[in-house]
Amino acid sequence: AAMRSRAEVDATLQTAKLNPAELLPAVHCLSFGPQAGGGECCLLQLEPGLCAELEAGHSLVIRGEKDEHAVLCSKDKTYDMKIADTSNMLLFVPGCKTPEQLNADPASCNIIHSQIAGFSNNYWELRRCRPKLKKLRKLLMEDPYNGPDSQKDQTSTFSKYTTEDLLSLIQASEEEILHQLQVIDACKIEGYWRILDFDYEMKLLNHVTQLIDSESWPLSKVPLCACLEELGSLEPREMIEHILVSYGRKYVDAGEVFFEMHEDKICRAIAQMLLQNAVKFNLSEFEEVWQQSVPEGMTTRLDQLQGLALVDKSSRPETIFLLKVEDLPEDNQERFNSLFGIREKWTEVDITPYIQDLCAEKQTVGALLTKYARSSMLNGVKVYNSRRPIS
Amino acid sequence: LAQWVLVELQGEVEPRQSGGLAGSLLGDLHYTCEGVPVLIVGHHILYGKVVQLEKPFAVLVKQGGAPQPSPAGPHGHYTVTALIKTKLLFRTRPKPIITHVPKKV
Repeated sequence: AAMRSRAEVDATLQTAKLNPAELLPAVHCLSFGPQAGGGECCLLQLEPGLCAELEAGHSLVIRGEKDEHAVLCSKDKTYDMKIADTSNMLLFVPGCKTPEQLNADPASCNIIHSQIAGFSNNYWELRRCRPKLKKLRKLLMEDPYNGPDSQKDQTSTFSKYTTEDLLSLIQASEEEILHQLQVIDACKIEGYWRILDFDYEMKLLNHVTQLIDSESWPLSKVPLCACLEELGSLEPREMIEHILVSYGRKYVDAGEVFFEMHEDKICRAIAQMLLQNAVKFNLSEFEEVWQQSVPEGMTTRLDQLQGLALVDKSSRPETIFLLKVEDLPEDNQERFNSLFGIREKWTEVDITPYIQDLCAEKQTVGALLTKYARSSMLNGVKVYNSRRPIS
Repeated sequence: LAQWVLVELQGEVEPRQSGGLAGSLLGDLHYTCEGVPVLIVGHHILYGKVVQLEKPFAVLVKQGGAPQPSPAGPHGHYTVTALIKTKLLFRTRPKPIITHVPKKV
């Protein structure tokens, strides 16, 4: 279409009975650009902070396989994406000036020919969500690392994952993924992220705790160098350091590297080792064996097992069994269904470790319970059960 | 990043001639001295207002011309082409322009 002239614009104003004296001198003649109907442009409504991130040059990434709902990731946050429809027509116009901009630049053109780049009657809305990290553990558990002598590792045809691989497969921001890799004690071996096979991990831990015992080192001051020297012939040095990092806090004192061992984490790991061998245990027998199995100087406590094991106080004698929160579903409703399938009624104290990770930013466990459970009193204690009948 | 403007109109925009919208004129956009946007579209005058968006928009352009977004979400690579922080909202009912045919004297 030919570009409109000033004369044509003025004629239209006259027909419309608009007084040019009441208008700013500049006019935008809007037309549809060549790509306008193509549907290649879409609108994304930005949550606070994202606009600033984009202007600072950071990127946003949309992640998700074909069978997953897409999420949008900034460098440290994850958002669910949802289409919002509007009954209005939204046109996106490059180079269109506002009255302020026109007034600020008196020399601006009299006629601005603006091409509408695209139009839509919907846009993507964002809602901050929990990063979908369960898949991360699942991928790394496909091929846990069993040590350098493991036959499987050499001939393995399983997928191994680099950071880039994980970034393209996991619906979470890079920071959330890297943080989670730390939380699950993953380590990089030959450029691939690996999780240790649990038995191998316990073997490494055992080397270290035995050494601590035989050298009579205080649990709060375990020297890295000595560990590497003494154990280097048994296991790769990287693995020895990795187990110290996983189960201790690294610090430097007088130029030397030491580790303050996490008593709770070590006791918890040893409990897992004991509990995974049977469906359930007599509680008092377990507590005795557990205390005897942990390193000298460490004290076991049941609260170390939150999210790992569950005590059944209704059975006679009382029993304990392994129940790992990371094995449970990631979706809120599915998680609650699963928990109520395991036990009909839960106290808040018992259920909290198994739903804590579901809390969104600023959401409390209480709010989750109100939404997904129904409360009642049982023997003077408040308990929660399912809102719906469990088949 | 380029800054674009959103123009929000009630209803739908249809081409006068068949053959799609690409390349065709929409209308003239003026502002009054007080900064009120005035859009002349066909035989209508629309009065609107300038709105600073509380939640700005990003304009995403799909790379590689893949199929339309699926219900599960937009898949593929997108580039942020522009940001939109301002919209011109035309919500008032369009006033029709009645054209006089001048009588020949």
